[in-house]
Amino acid sequence: MIEKMIEMIEKNADKMAEDLKERLITDGTTPSFKVLDERDLYNDIHGIYSHLGYWLLKDPQRGPVQIYYTEMGKKRRMEGFPLPELIQALIVTKKHIWDTVAEKGIMGSAVSLNSAIDLITFLNRFFDFAIYYTVYGYYKSLGVLEF
Amino acid sequence: MLTKRITAMVESNATELSKDIQRKLLSHPTTKSYRKVDEETLFRWIYDVSSRFSYWLSEDNEKGEVKEHYRNLGKERFKQNIWLPEVISALYLVKRRLWEFIVAEREVDSSLDLNQILETSFMLVRFFDHAVFYVTQGCEEILKEKFGYEAPLKNPERFAEAMAEKAKRAEEMEEEARLPTLCFTKGMIRLE
Repeated sequence: MIEKMIEMIEKNADKMAEDLKERLITDGTTPSFKVLDERDLYNDIHGIYSHLGYWLLKDPQRGPVQIYYTEMGKKRRMEGFPLPELIQALIVTKKHIWDTVAEKGIMGSAVSLNSAIDLITFLNRFFDFAIYYTVYGYYKSLGVLEF
Repeated sequence: MLTKRITAMVESNATELSKDIQRKLLSHPTTKSYRKVDEETLFRWIYDVSSRFSYWLSEDNEKGEVKEHYRNLGKERFKQNIWLPEVISALYLVKRRLWEFIVAEREVDSSLDLNQILETSFMLVRFFDHAVFYVTQGCEEILKEKFGYEAPLKNPERFAEAMAEKAKRAEEMEEEARLPTLCFTKGMIRLE
């Protein structure tokens, strides 16, 4: 059941990435995202959504998740982004995925509710580490701190 | 209401849960600075969240006290040389343990019960998302105070410059994308 939820997101990646991109560049809590090239932003988001299964099922404590988000933290810091906005963007992304699943009305039975809890567990685990490594990369690139 | 029952269960197991979380914090590689903290103080920090779980999760507190508390926490931990990534990791370790406890109470017999567990889980996630966000804001304030660092895009002039650069790049890309025109001169075809 959880695989079906992930598959649904991957199949709708184009529309979802467009939707999230618009959300990030128009939301008052993430104003700095307006300065990004929209195509690049769309591609970054699409890269996650279209391979969500890959990202969610990887060990988020090391490997691709660690590398990608540490680099993203550094990159956005160099681009002048405030750190709270980066965190907010990741929180909004997590909520966006969840809202899409809920919208599609997949959760009707006890079995699917159990799968929903499993999906939240995976989503939380992934985004917890995504946020942690973004912050880590950001702070490391600051260079003023002993870290 | 099952949500209240779940939060009451967390609170009544607060001591055991807090000891467990404390053990994790002291041994986890991403929270090494917490080993410098007095054990009783550390236990108290953790116990404050789990023993007043329903209080912290309530709607009203998210808008006021949670914001104030965690912004100050961010500043406090910074002054205690506990760096932001470690503070965030600690918050997530607390969240993860509370989540495991709640989810273990799943009763698969009734969809209603699962819905309530799901609802409590949302409240837990939302609370910790806010906590992490506000702790980060608190640290940002200290970074500015102590090191004079502020993210460039927070400055309206720098932001306007960045937007102007973006517009310029977009214009340049549009020009590059224009197809060359064909020009016929003296029987030769020329590209312009």
